[in-house]
Amino acid sequence: MDNFKGFALRKISEVSVRYLPFADAASDAVPLSRLLRLSLFQVTVGMALVLMVGTLNRVMIVELQVPATLVGVMLALPLAFAPFRALIGFRSDRFQSALGLRRLPYIFKGTMLQFGGFAIMPFALLVLSGYGEAVNAPRWIGLSSAALAFLLVGAGVHIVQTIGLALATDLVKEEAQPKVVGLMYVMLLVGMIVSAFVYGALLQNYTPGRLIQVIQGSAVVTVALNFFAMWKQEARDRGRAMAPQGPKVSFVEAWARLTQRKGMLRLLTIIALGTVGFGMADVLLEPFGGKVLMMSVAETTRLTIFLACGSLVGFVMASRWLGAGALPVDMALYGLAAGVPAFGLIVWSSMMISVPMLLTGTLLAGFGAGLFGHGTLTATMRSAPREQIGLSLGAWGAVQATSAGVAIAIAGIVRDAIVATEAVGTSASAPYTSVFLIEAALLALALLLALPLRSKESGRTVEVNPIENTCLLVVAEPHAVPQAIESGRPS
Amino acid sequence: MSNDPDKVWPTGLTLREAEEVHSYLIDGTRVFGVIALIAHLLVAVSTPWLG
Repeated sequence: MDNFKGFALRKISEVSVRYLPFADAASDAVPLSRLLRLSLFQVTVGMALVLMVGTLNRVMIVELQVPATLVGVMLALPLAFAPFRALIGFRSDRFQSALGLRRLPYIFKGTMLQFGGFAIMPFALLVLSGYGEAVNAPRWIGLSSAALAFLLVGAGVHIVQTIGLALATDLVKEEAQPKVVGLMYVMLLVGMIVSAFVYGALLQNYTPGRLIQVIQGSAVVTVALNFFAMWKQEARDRGRAMAPQGPKVSFVEAWARLTQRKGMLRLLTIIALGTVGFGMADVLLEPFGGKVLMMSVAETTRLTIFLACGSLVGFVMASRWLGAGALPVDMALYGLAAGVPAFGLIVWSSMMISVPMLLTGTLLAGFGAGLFGHGTLTATMRSAPREQIGLSLGAWGAVQATSAGVAIAIAGIVRDAIVATEAVGTSASAPYTSVFLIEAALLALALLLALPLRSKESGRTVEVNPIENTCLLVVAEPHAVPQAIESGRPS
Repeated sequence: MSNDPDKVWPTGLTLREAEEVHSYLIDGTRVFGVIALIAHLLVAVSTPWLG
């Protein structure tokens, strides 16, 4: 028996190091391959977004014949969860775990929710559309189950993205953060583009059975990718597990402390204005190209591709510039400064009926959005002390996701309102150009708000980065971190 | 650390750690079970298999 116990213990200790889902230690240099693997969670987020906003939007209206307003309400449901990102991030920062984990439990739960939502979604949609015997079923079954499915997926996406970004920030040093942000954005775009093509090809010949296969397939792929992404990323931390529980801080207090920090509220306002400003064009560019400039479907698809390519270039350039020591606030400023003339060009193209001008404007708008997104996310990451990164990123995500949803809603409402009120005598371009002008105005407003941040920040550039020194302290002495960061930061 | 009385055989986790790992397993199973139940109910509504 003793022999067996010794043998088993030795075997398990050999095995566990390699096969446990924890990192060996919080090593200081995280190789790129590990970051690439971590960024896979963004692919699943992109996949869920494309499936809900793009593919199911069409399938529900065309193939399942669900009323368009109901589809709109269902797709908007996950947005209701966006403001809770800040709360989730806060809870994860303060999570009490015997294993010393903070991020993994949340990502696991978020992945389960995403999986669960996808698992019941196809059946919920079929019941909602009255497929088979469901015609005779009471209406509330289809409505509530579809709403539950969308809510679950939405909640899962919000949790996974917020906590995943927080984990990425935990893992790398401050100098490497721009690179990680760029990587995360690029992977989100890649996930969206690839899954759009895949879903399009798979659902070419629509049958209810195929719908079930595709959505449940996404559920399995989501779990597989997320688990693969999280494997061995977060270190077990006995120090954190043993640390005495600090005084209880309520979310309201923590939030108040966050918004009291210098420039934080202003930064969040800029993020909201800029995201709405850049986001409104997303859904209007293609109809604008088709109705006003008489472009074909293939040509208007090119508009979306140009927008995405512009963003991609923006992310890459922002990563490079920030890596070379530029300030995140400057990136956001350049992005906004590129956005204003970009929408000017787009409006002008409708007067000149010039497709090349529209394409240039679109590319420039994408580039500006890329710079802006990267700059504001990096600024948020840097403004947070290590102990509050979850809360800060949650606040960023809450503002960003809510504004993106609001932008799409406003764009549709403004266009429809103008179409309805000036039915006779206005050109086809008026509803669109007025939205684009609003966007330019919002971006200009954000630009004005961002200028003071720059003069405040510029004082910091001269100093040798104070955070870098405190990072060494973090490893050695977990309790000293908040004070060290507070004292290391110029006030 | 090696002769920590809290550690339980054979994993070398302490009792609290083991309970935490177990709680994730239980949570996952519960969520999975509820989801499966809902999915079965919905399928039964659209294509009844129990007559």
